[in-house]
Amino acid sequence: MGTSLLEFHVLLALAGGALHGYAIAERVAAESGGTLAPRAGSLYRVIARLIREGLVAESEGEAEAEIPHPGLARRYYALTAAGRRTLGEEARRLKQAAAAAEKRLGLARGRS
Amino acid sequence: MRTLLRVLVRLFPPSFRSHFGAAIVEHAALDCERDLARGRLPALRSLLLSAFDIGRSALSERLRPSWVDVPFEKEGTAMRSSFTLESGGADLRHALRTLRRTPGFTATVVGTLALAIGTIASVFTVLDRVVIAPLPYGHPERLVFVAAEAPGSEMTGEFGPAAEFYLQYKEASRRLEDVAIYASFTNSLRVGDRVERVRMGAVTNSLYSTLGARPQLGRLPVAADEDRVAVISDALWRTWFGADPSVLGRSYEMAGASRTIIGVMRPEFQFPSDGTLLWVVAQVRAEGLQTGRFGYNLVGRMAPGTDREAVAAELTALARGLPRRFGGSPGYARLIERHRAVVRPLLDEMLGPAARSLWILFAAAAIVLLIACVNVANLFMVRVEARHRDLAVRRAIGASRAQLVRLQMAEALVAALLGGALAVALAGLSLPVLLRAAPAGVPRLAEVTLSGRTLLFTLLAALLSGLLCGGAAAWRGASPNLARLREGGRGSTGRRRLGRDGLVAAQTAMALVLLIGAGLLMRSFLALRSVDPGYDTRDVFTFQFAPEQAGLKDGPSWARFHLDFLARLAALPGVTSVGIVENVPLDEGTRDDRFRSEEMPDGPDAGRPLTWTFAAGDYFRTMAIDVLDGRPFETADHLSVHGNVVISRSAAKLLFPGQRAVGRRLQQQGQKDWHTVVGVVEDVMQYGFRDTPQALVYYPLAGPTPTSWSVTTPAYVIKTPRAEAIAPEVRTLIRQVAPEAPMYRAYTMAALAARSMVALSFTLLTLGVVSALALFLGALGLYGVLSVVVAERTREIGVRMALGATAAAVRRMVVAQGARVVALGVAIGLVTAFVATRALSGMLFGVAAFDGPTFAAMASLMLVIGGLAAYVPARRASRVDPCESLRSD
Repeated sequence: MGTSLLEFHVLLALAGGALHGYAIAERVAAESGGTLAPRAGSLYRVIARLIREGLVAESEGEAEAEIPHPGLARRYYALTAAGRRTLGEEARRLKQAAAAAEKRLGLARGRS
Repeated sequence: MRTLLRVLVRLFPPSFRSHFGAAIVEHAALDCERDLARGRLPALRSLLLSAFDIGRSALSERLRPSWVDVPFEKEGTAMRSSFTLESGGADLRHALRTLRRTPGFTATVVGTLALAIGTIASVFTVLDRVVIAPLPYGHPERLVFVAAEAPGSEMTGEFGPAAEFYLQYKEASRRLEDVAIYASFTNSLRVGDRVERVRMGAVTNSLYSTLGARPQLGRLPVAADEDRVAVISDALWRTWFGADPSVLGRSYEMAGASRTIIGVMRPEFQFPSDGTLLWVVAQVRAEGLQTGRFGYNLVGRMAPGTDREAVAAELTALARGLPRRFGGSPGYARLIERHRAVVRPLLDEMLGPAARSLWILFAAAAIVLLIACVNVANLFMVRVEARHRDLAVRRAIGASRAQLVRLQMAEALVAALLGGALAVALAGLSLPVLLRAAPAGVPRLAEVTLSGRTLLFTLLAALLSGLLCGGAAAWRGASPNLARLREGGRGSTGRRRLGRDGLVAAQTAMALVLLIGAGLLMRSFLALRSVDPGYDTRDVFTFQFAPEQAGLKDGPSWARFHLDFLARLAALPGVTSVGIVENVPLDEGTRDDRFRSEEMPDGPDAGRPLTWTFAAGDYFRTMAIDVLDGRPFETADHLSVHGNVVISRSAAKLLFPGQRAVGRRLQQQGQKDWHTVVGVVEDVMQYGFRDTPQALVYYPLAGPTPTSWSVTTPAYVIKTPRAEAIAPEVRTLIRQVAPEAPMYRAYTMAALAARSMVALSFTLLTLGVVSALALFLGALGLYGVLSVVVAERTREIGVRMALGATAAAVRRMVVAQGARVVALGVAIGLVTAFVATRALSGMLFGVAAFDGPTFAAMASLMLVIGGLAAYVPARRASRVDPCESLRSD
């Protein structure tokens, strides 16, 4: 199953442990170098889709080590085993794509 | 701002909104607030961006839903289940996390449950295989055991029908499809040089069709075979014949006659008891049949669609016609008038008392599991109390009651499942121990192994335990008292103390019931050990061997052989005396027949039913059987027929009431010769220490007539302090006189005595272990609860002590609180035990099911243990430093 870039980054953000929504947004922004800055509505739609696909699960938990955000402390999201698998596959796919891109770009440079 | 966002969020479909709406509002507001730090304009921009995003997402969501919620979905069952599974998974993960964070708590909970579930799992495994599993025959529910009773006749209780009953049933019954006679006995089997006494069955050919059993090799006997054939068990085929198929058609000496092996049964054919090695043909013919020879075992197969009552009624009616058809004495006719057929499931008959023992054990294990669950439930309750604030906060910010319940239950279930997994390992380890301790007579025990059914049972037990353990805590945790948030969550409420005290009282009661049960069995065991069976089992070694020599052909020649061997045995160092008996008590049974004195009339009903055997040498002295009158046998009595017998006290009383028996004469039914009583000895208990003493006639080795009987394989008894170690020397002696004959059935009498009590000692041992476990868990529970109570009341105790209460007064207060709970539990336990111990009554000996001293002793023990469990926290309470406890607030 293919994932969009935002979905990939949400999964990536959760790979380190369960997070609440706001922390996901922050981490996605940081890890995408600022290229992705999902607003609340988009973010939760993505999260909802990931939950439906079984890649992410809600947990009613205390946060693992994150600084708690007052008022948001009630719902955390965590990767499921399937989510972890998908993330790994997606990362591999991206790596191959990146390698292919680099190779092609390098060849192009060599020719010129 | 939030109001605006909330309005916008309403654009989302309800299911999505209800789940994520609040989070989106909160999230967007936070974004906005953060940007406010950079100024009003960025904040406004942020708010507008969020608002736009919400509107766009809401539209997309309505067009292409990414979220499906349970109550709003009609067709998406697959999605729904994946949703609940996933969020259930999250609950479980959370539970695992919480359990990992508190290893001490988790170890206690999982360990307690593993111990209790493991115990019940191994008991279940045995129970399932031995009692619950059906017999390995087609439609086993239609197999019945047929016995007889005749209230008001000379036959008391239940007894086995006679052969004519079998003939009548077989020919005339419509409700029984088939019926068979079977008997189990030990006799010698000779294959080449190997001679041993083995367990055999004597069965009518209809047995195989009744049970629906087929051979794995060869064929079953038919009428034309008469009694010259035998079928052998899979075990005999493998051990004696190396599973050689060519064994079919060969003839060997079995039960005193040469018989041809025609079939090998399947391994699961173990009838009537495990360890039966071969089956010879029992022939019953109507011609020349003598009526009234009761004592046969009958097995029948009911026709489809009939029940046992109907069968019993039909068989009772059929038996009424017996005197008309077969004749018989007037006494027989009178008995038949009172006769009623008894029809029971065959499995019940084959299991005998083992089933009850195992059910009792299962019940005990279930009680221990309950106690363990109560303990664990208490631990979870305490934890919920500790997390009360957290739960109240969750509830306040919108967690549903169901979510809180789920959270608690998930934890308990995960703990119970971990316990269950550990329990399987534990059961795997404890099962061999349980099997080794089990009595030899328990049928089908050899087939017991951990099975898929054990795993299923363990899983169910674990789930049930999880529900029980988590239930109480979940119920408490689901409705946290929000008002207590304000107070800072202090103070203990009466309701929750009541709950915990109730649990401890229940636990105490259950442990006490088990303790009383174990106590009663212990007393029975001691009573049985002190029974005087009429002989002394200390320092006696017994064995048998079957010499095979050309010169041994009649009674006197056998007597000479045995007397010569007795002399050799007596010469062994340390041997006090030696003797011979045909059927050694506690190992083999004696034979029954009717005997009469000269005053009693002749005829089929004449005389008294007695048992008889052979004895020689210093048998009575070796076994310490008292000679009450006259003399024991002398050597001359054995070497030629003088017609002398020795009888036991009850036999003398039955044959010669009110007279001196020595010098008088008696006659065995069906024989011509009369025998003179030369001595009277004490009765013995032949079958066990619960047995009634036997009325027994001892013949000398020469037999009733020189050719009528040859004692081929008597049991030797040797009185020596070296009873445990003398076997090798005996074996050497046997090799000298009869190189071809192996020694077998070699035991010390003490070992036979222990074996005869093994059913009781097995139940005693296991129930003892289980009730010790219950006592330990019960004490632990009390200790735990009082510790928590003391911890909660530290402040109160501090105030009391600051106001002048002494340490002793504080200790008293805490112990009294514990004692009240324990006393309540003991009271409930005593009442319960009063009812419950009736289940044990079949196993008890010399003690009533309601035995005052046992009840009192065990109740005191429970109180003392309860007091100790309360004292430790009480001491801690009395050491409370008032300043510390008040400052800590």
